[in-house]
Amino acid sequence: MQSESARMSSAAEARYRIDAPNSQPRAVKVIALDAPSERVVKMLAERKWSRATFFTASAFGDAPKAGESFAGWLSDLAGRTKNLVEEVDAADLVVMVAAAGESAQAASIIGEACSLKRVMTTGLILGGADKSDEALSKTLSHLRPWALMLVVASAEEYVEDMLRALRA
Amino acid sequence: MLRKEQNDLLTQTGPGTPMGKMFRLSWQPALLASELPENECPPVRVKLMSERLLAWRDTQGNYALTDEFCAHRGVSLWFGRNEENGLRCPYHGWKYDHTGQCIEVPSEPTESGFCKKIKLKSYPLVERGGVLWTYMGPPEMQPPLPEWEFAVVPADRSFTSKRLQESNWLQAMEGGIDSSHVSFLHSGELNKDPLFKGSKGNQYNMGDMKPVFEVVESPGGLYIGARRNAEHGHYYWRVTQYVLPAFTMIPPRADHPVHGHFWVPIDDENCWAWSFDYKVTRPLSEHELTAMHEGKGIHNEYVPGTFRPRQNKDNDYLIDRAAQKRGDTFSGVYGIAMQDASLQESMGPVVDRTKENLVSTDNGIIMARHRLLRALKAMEKGEIPPGIAREHQQCRSAAVVLPPDQPFKEAAKEALVVQAGKEHATV
Repeated sequence: MQSESARMSSAAEARYRIDAPNSQPRAVKVIALDAPSERVVKMLAERKWSRATFFTASAFGDAPKAGESFAGWLSDLAGRTKNLVEEVDAADLVVMVAAAGESAQAASIIGEACSLKRVMTTGLILGGADKSDEALSKTLSHLRPWALMLVVASAEEYVEDMLRALRA
Repeated sequence: MLRKEQNDLLTQTGPGTPMGKMFRLSWQPALLASELPENECPPVRVKLMSERLLAWRDTQGNYALTDEFCAHRGVSLWFGRNEENGLRCPYHGWKYDHTGQCIEVPSEPTESGFCKKIKLKSYPLVERGGVLWTYMGPPEMQPPLPEWEFAVVPADRSFTSKRLQESNWLQAMEGGIDSSHVSFLHSGELNKDPLFKGSKGNQYNMGDMKPVFEVVESPGGLYIGARRNAEHGHYYWRVTQYVLPAFTMIPPRADHPVHGHFWVPIDDENCWAWSFDYKVTRPLSEHELTAMHEGKGIHNEYVPGTFRPRQNKDNDYLIDRAAQKRGDTFSGVYGIAMQDASLQESMGPVVDRTKENLVSTDNGIIMARHRLLRALKAMEKGEIPPGIAREHQQCRSAAVVLPPDQPFKEAAKEALVVQAGKEHATV
């Protein structure tokens, strides 16, 4: 007689895997940290998504001031100011997108809000292959303390591939 | 998740498929050299990328990898007589040389030259590092012989095994770059397995169960860095290498041999899990070799006379529920290789990736699929896929402690490529 594992791992049995949704859509907030990544995020925002929403923190300068309020650190792609803490609070995942060589200092403010609300963060650095190690290092050093997962990608298409893979 | 058409694209490797073309453009391990131990030894059936082949070794020692079936009536030449520089079909005596050329058709007049019109498909088969490698792509695109470090160190410094895995190649390979499962599935082995235990790195591993991952593209594929806290604010990094399409190398631990895998499709529902261990500057010790032969580390025990693991789906992988409950092993299955294989085979022959829910820590897997899909697109435009160039094969995994602000790709630059005469960077 065949073992349980032998029977159940066959191609024939695979057909009986329940065909019903096994997850609810995740709310993913995608935030551009600088002007070059804002361009990428804007293109992405024009496509169809389940529960992904797109923001920018690129207009808020390089160095956040100590003790500054979280409010006002974020805007949607139309330029309307958004409340960072509220947005993070409604997120399952926050994805921060930065271009290699750009300052990603806004990551600290966003990351702190995510830490406060216990929300998972992912950092994506684009164009790592074209920039010097020093330039990449600068961006990395700002993102690393605040991203629980970091990816250095050479192709912009990776952002979309990753979001689709995560069912965003 | 992947859409169905993407999943099909990556998992199907038969003749004429894009992924099959990618595999066929590089040298793949076909069988162990020990499977053809002497001239005129019995032939061995080999199925690769859904092609049924026969490996054999003629009177002069030439290796052959030819179509398994006689061109006459389709008899399997596995039954053939390996004699006088050729393989003779036992049915009507047709004989083939190591290139697949028919050299005798006894029923036809020799003068007719009929046999010259018969040739079996054949592929080159060469020995390197105790492995017989084949190239199944267009002859004009055949690359130089493989330069993976484990295959070019002296023979006494390297050990390679293979096992049958009853699943598609991709779900097996993805296990090789899924660094976040180690702290769970293999947690019972780190301090017990003779080929893993006793490293300082294990303390970091067990002391920080929530590693942070960084995935960085490399010329040949990916570096997958797992970062854990070390002393004085430093980070302990374990950097896994993935080289397209199917090579993975695990970071070392202390002075143990370094190991890794090739995941080679047999057909779309089975693959060979090739497992290698090696040291650069010293022979493997008796103790290490004994452990490897006994199935420790990333190796496994076998059903005698086969390459099927002793623990397999027909015996429920000998799962020990009491050991699972006691915490001896996390899953109840013994051995690192079979802990992985049991779960990967349980997904079914080809996992339906439309149903999966990946999370952020799966970015290594997401990026590997992205690189494969990107490489397939580029290949269709005539580009050579990653993993074929010599410099892509000259890679190493590494375990290092680094200051907190440094990109591991930069700080461990030397450690991530072959350094002649130097061991791997290890902790």
